[in-house]
Amino acid sequence: MSRLKYHIKQTWRNLGQSWGTQIMTLFTVSLSVLIFSFFLLIYVNILAAGDRFSDELRLVVYLDHEVVPEMQPQIRKKIMDFSEVENIVFVSRKEAFERFRKQLGKNSDVLDDLGPEIMPPSIEVSPLRDLEHLSQLKEFSDYLATLPGALKVQYGQNWVERFGHFTELVRMTVIMSGVLLVMATGFMVSYTIRLTVVAKDAELEILRLLGASSSYVQTPLLIEGLMQGIIGSTLGMALLYALYTWAAGRLSGPGFLRLFDLTFFSPLTACAIILVSIAMCTGGSLIAIRKYMRI
Amino acid sequence: MPAVHGGRPFRPAADVRPGAPDTDFDNKVRLHFMSEQNRENRPFVDVVKVTKVYSPDIVALQDVSLSVDRGEMIFLTGMSGAGKSTLLKLISCMERPNKGLIEVAGRDTAKLKKGEIQELRQQIGMAYQDFKILPRHTVFQNVAMPMEVLYRPGREIKERVNEVLEALRMDHKKNLPAGKLSRGEQQRVAIARAAVNRPALILADEPTGNLDSEISTLVMKLFTELNEGGSTIIIATHDSSIYEGTSHRVVRLEHGMFTA
Ligand SMILES: Nc1ncnc2c1ncn2[C@@H]1O[C@H](COP(=O)(O)OP(=O)(O)OP(=O)(O)O)[C@@H](O)[C@H]1O
Ligand SMILES: [Mg+2]
Repeated sequence: MSRLKYHIKQTWRNLGQSWGTQIMTLFTVSLSVLIFSFFLLIYVNILAAGDRFSDELRLVVYLDHEVVPEMQPQIRKKIMDFSEVENIVFVSRKEAFERFRKQLGKNSDVLDDLGPEIMPPSIEVSPLRDLEHLSQLKEFSDYLATLPGALKVQYGQNWVERFGHFTELVRMTVIMSGVLLVMATGFMVSYTIRLTVVAKDAELEILRLLGASSSYVQTPLLIEGLMQGIIGSTLGMALLYALYTWAAGRLSGPGFLRLFDLTFFSPLTACAIILVSIAMCTGGSLIAIRKYMRI
Repeated sequence: MPAVHGGRPFRPAADVRPGAPDTDFDNKVRLHFMSEQNRENRPFVDVVKVTKVYSPDIVALQDVSLSVDRGEMIFLTGMSGAGKSTLLKLISCMERPNKGLIEVAGRDTAKLKKGEIQELRQQIGMAYQDFKILPRHTVFQNVAMPMEVLYRPGREIKERVNEVLEALRMDHKKNLPAGKLSRGEQQRVAIARAAVNRPALILADEPTGNLDSEISTLVMKLFTELNEGGSTIIIATHDSSIYEGTSHRVVRLEHGMFTA
């Protein structure tokens, strides 16, 4: 244990020598974590919001004739050929008529003289609710239009398309900020280590002559990277949480749409992000030590 | 009465017997090197026909041979440029010879791996002619470095560093940055650092070059104590006052060769 104490003491000395750079690095690490997890959080929340719009996401195929029960498995198979779906419902003229009547409520007497034959039969297809499938809705709808007897396919086109583009954009941002996170933290951490090594050049030379072991010299620098990872990423995550609490308080006021019912990462996800950042900082310092140090 | 005699007596470098409790790393290393020595009963430092040429063609040492027994104290003299520092650097593995063999503690230094060189250096205390002390570190920090490298407990470091600084009358400056000291004071810091671990081998390069005779006497007293404790000591010097009338061996280098 006394060795660990030594290493910590030495780390402390290093911090004292270059606290300016250390703070810069800490700042970069937390900012990168903040930016990355910010976009990730938006992405996660958009997907969750998409879930709430499930009705809008249903594709309705209007037909010129009813599908007889014997034919249903065949059509089902044909639909599934294009993509997995969550659910397929065949709606007969009669069912459609009943629904319509219910929707009209007390005005339903306008339908009294009419029969179910005024309603077109339809197939309601609920696609899988993930980005991959949602982004293909247009193609899916074109495909459904080629089903035998299909008159027209309807879905929340505009909304879905915009949603799809937006989600795609956010996804790209998440990926890019992830790359930024890796590059910025890796670079900054190794840059600080390099500065430390250069600043301590004379000291390292003497330590070498005194027969200091590699672990004596390197462990403090490794601890330095580890600490920057731990403090920096925790700070970044804490900032994001503060931001989230603030935003959630603003957006989910009474009467506002449930649409903006924000959720934060699960503790597991938050921990995973922090752990990955710590691993990156430590890795960055390890690479820098290998590269710049002769001991 | 010089401070060396007060307080705890120096623990001799060789005072580690297999039976004695030795939980620390330092002692294990020491034992390791000792057992090699005991097994073969060879000189502690053995330089055999060594030639060192600095590029492009400066012959610093030519066919030099020197054997130093364990526990010996020896003076290495010769004019400036004779190659004294070079020989010490070869023994401490700072430089490599172009020809010849250098054995320390019964081991061929040319064949040592990185970790073994580190182990060997932990056993050597070298006071460099150019001091090699850190100007921004305090005197205490400079002297403590060899002990810290061995992960000695803080209390022991404090005790021992103070003891050595007292012996060289430097204890009142221990908290000053070493860069602020006079040359003579810096020299004593370098000597204190070489002696602080009571290493098995001490290489002192011109240790009294900047010191008056009174302080030189203190330095020699410290070396003598360590030598009596079992340390092998090689002192390179052209200060004849410190070896005049000595009972120890004095060898002379001239133009990279020993003279009889
Ligand atoms: N790194 C080096 N590169 C080139 N030549 C060197 C180097 N080090 C020493 N020399 C040369 O080797 C010779 C021996 O030098 P060395 O330092 O061993 O002498 P010395 O006996 O210690 O002298 P002094 O008493 O002045 O300290 C000198 O001629 C010196 O110029
Ligand atoms: Mg010299």
